[in-house]
Amino acid sequence: MNTALLSLSAPLLAALWLLLTHRRQAPVVIVASLISLVAAVFSLYQVIDAGEQSLALGGWESPLGIRLRLMPVSAMLLTFTALIHSLVGLYAWRSRHSQTRHTDYWPLSCLLHAALAALWLSHDIFNWYVTLELLGLVAVVMVCLAGPKAYGAALRYLLLSLAASLCYLLGVALLYGVYGVLDVSLLAEAARADPSTRTALMLMTVGLMLKAALWPLHLWLPAAHSSAPTAVSALLSALVVKGPLFILWLLWSRVAPEELGQAAGPWLALAGVGALLVGGWSALRAPLIKLMVAYSTVAQLGYALLALGLMLHWRELSLDAALWLFVLAHGLAKVSMFLAAGEMQSTLGSRRLDSLKGATQTMPVAMFAFAVAGGSLIGLPPSGGFLAKWLLLLPLLQNPAHWPWALGVMLGTLISAAYVFRVVAISFDRARPTSPDFNPDRFAQWLSLLPALLVWGMALISEQLILWLTGATL
Amino acid sequence: MSQTLFYLLVGAGLWLLGLHGLLCLRQPLRRIMAVNIMGSGVFMVMLALAVRPDSPDPVLQALIVTGLVVAASATALALRLASADRDRAQKTAEEGE
Amino acid sequence: MTEWLVDSGLGLALLLLAAATLYAPRLYTSVVFFMGFGLLMAIVWARLGAADLALAEAAIGAGLTGVLLMGALREHPPRTERAPRPRSLLWAALLPLAVLPLLVEAILPLSGGAQPLPAQVDAQLAYSGVSHPVTAVLLNFRSWDTLLELLVVLFALLGTRQLALSSRHPHPPWPLLLAWCRWLAPLAFLLGAYLLWRGAKAPGGAFQAGALWASAIVMLRLNGLLPTVSWRDWRLRLPALLGVTVFVLLAVATWLWGAGWLVWPPGAAKALILLVELAASVGIAITLALLVMGEDRELRP
Repeated sequence: MNTALLSLSAPLLAALWLLLTHRRQAPVVIVASLISLVAAVFSLYQVIDAGEQSLALGGWESPLGIRLRLMPVSAMLLTFTALIHSLVGLYAWRSRHSQTRHTDYWPLSCLLHAALAALWLSHDIFNWYVTLELLGLVAVVMVCLAGPKAYGAALRYLLLSLAASLCYLLGVALLYGVYGVLDVSLLAEAARADPSTRTALMLMTVGLMLKAALWPLHLWLPAAHSSAPTAVSALLSALVVKGPLFILWLLWSRVAPEELGQAAGPWLALAGVGALLVGGWSALRAPLIKLMVAYSTVAQLGYALLALGLMLHWRELSLDAALWLFVLAHGLAKVSMFLAAGEMQSTLGSRRLDSLKGATQTMPVAMFAFAVAGGSLIGLPPSGGFLAKWLLLLPLLQNPAHWPWALGVMLGTLISAAYVFRVVAISFDRARPTSPDFNPDRFAQWLSLLPALLVWGMALISEQLILWLTGATL
Repeated sequence: MSQTLFYLLVGAGLWLLGLHGLLCLRQPLRRIMAVNIMGSGVFMVMLALAVRPDSPDPVLQALIVTGLVVAASATALALRLASADRDRAQKTAEEGE
Repeated sequence: MTEWLVDSGLGLALLLLAAATLYAPRLYTSVVFFMGFGLLMAIVWARLGAADLALAEAAIGAGLTGVLLMGALREHPPRTERAPRPRSLLWAALLPLAVLPLLVEAILPLSGGAQPLPAQVDAQLAYSGVSHPVTAVLLNFRSWDTLLELLVVLFALLGTRQLALSSRHPHPPWPLLLAWCRWLAPLAFLLGAYLLWRGAKAPGGAFQAGALWASAIVMLRLNGLLPTVSWRDWRLRLPALLGVTVFVLLAVATWLWGAGWLVWPPGAAKALILLVELAASVGIAITLALLVMGEDRELRP
């Protein structure tokens, strides 16, 4: 548990150091991310060895104090966060086009890292409110790094995020009014299916769905994610939207009484299918490169929501594993896609998708990274995206009565294939290639390929991963 | 109707009013105020729950203090962001002329 | 009976002021109504016996937010603002009206809910190092929340620094106001220090003190008695970051050499809490003052 807290404090101390000394030292940030990564891996081993751990902050037991809890999923997310931060940090440092080298990106990304770690470890509904606010504010500030053209999107993001927090907080107040405790485990023991609990859960769900940009509350995401600097877009899509999703998952799978979960499941799953179709369709029609990638985040979050909804409805625990595999696979693939897209759009000098003509010739590595990551989003075997989708489809195909959900997943897959192939097809149009404004940056392109290869590498450890996740989330 | 229940309802009313404002108003300053009124509604609900015969629940009071500071900080940022966005809009309008 | 009349009057006034804030035809009137709303809220909270909150709301909720709104209004006098059409007002009312019965249904059973926590706070208060329960919760039982909350305040400042702000030219304030400020600023400093010291055993504490100190700093700046210090200067950065830094370092120190993360050693609890509070209020004061006054050359590197 101490290693997990070390993984939280390393970036926090690095951020304070950078702010106090007023320097923008990328190496400090990268070293801090790596320390955090090592600590997180240690905590993951501890959890695998010894099971769930907890720590009472300040020495006060819950309900009086705040109890942090290191679950297998949170240890995994801690590691994942540190890994993505190290990768993106390296990119932001070395790439000429990261648009973040000489800004306050460095302390801010450390603070984002710390806020996410605090969220994964927390197990208290009010503490989650504070971490959600932290996450929302730092995300807005990082969108602003892109300069005045991003302010409109940032302001909308901030206002919606505040309203969402207040929805969530009203739910917290109601739960406290009924049960008088804030700790998740204690709430789980006490929870009953009465009207107050139901309304509280509904309010919290709406707030969290708005924050995680789950359909139909996703409207702020595409503008905010696509107008941010490239490195920031990658962090936002891969990590920030997963924070509220994590809380939503714990809330419904741990706190909510079974009958409420069963009733809410189909609605959540339906919203998931809606996200798949609407997000995919918008991605297919998006005129800008980064806008398309942002819409594909909306669509891909639909799979996670679908898995959550069906898990609640059928109490099928293998779907939990599907949910977290989706989160991992999507995070890695999205980092790859955003970095490749950002690299291509700044080298080719246009934000439009049409400008990718001939990119297979001019920037082969970046385009390859984009396609490989896209393959995982579609769910081509044997990528991480395929594993997740396979786990999701297994219970759907076993029972003939479940065909509408399976149809939804198939349609979603079809659309994602369409939008990925649309980009690939444009890039193969070598008749009149867009000539690059600069020499393409080789290192940055290879760096964007790395996470995509990691997603496909997930297949190598697929069996252990699935067994462990299914066992761990029980 | 007890005092607690009355103020709970007032809090819920404020929250809903703020929500309505956020949904239909377009001016950024007004939307920021609407969000603040939503916040005041939630804090009112929490305080009404805290009121007990002897002394108010200290835990809820502490939570409200935390919430107030968070809300004020976010409001400060939102107001500066709104001003900056307006500056940008004016500048683009002047350049366009 | 009179109790009930006062309560219902206050509650209705709150709702009316909120509605007036949102739908007043002129933005300026809206802002004035909003400040009135905040003050009335503080009065209601004082009436409900929450003196800490009344102080915090008056200082932070009504005072600070009101000043910030006034500032935003002055920078950008709104040109023609289109009033929302009645149709859109009605449409937007559908959602709140649909939620209303659910909320009422949820709230009705709450007036007598189980509350095990206050008893526990009372029981452990003697071991917390302070005798005022709200301070004990904020800085000992749930100190992790407070640490994260200080980070939120810091983010607002960092965020403001990222924006390309137009350089502000504040109107020179009235001479009479300036003369008053000279007297009020030291008073605000003293009052803040008193609130901070008192926080250990009675309502008051770091946030209220920080807000008062911030107002004192703003008043001195208006009088030209404080220089503009750039963010590049460590003398500005260090106090602004003091609260978070001290808190985080203490958290790590208690882990390395103490009984565990944020566990205050029994004998030193009071001193440590006072140290954290002092650092936090300095940080909050500087941060809030920068948010209110912060000029281009002060915030930019």
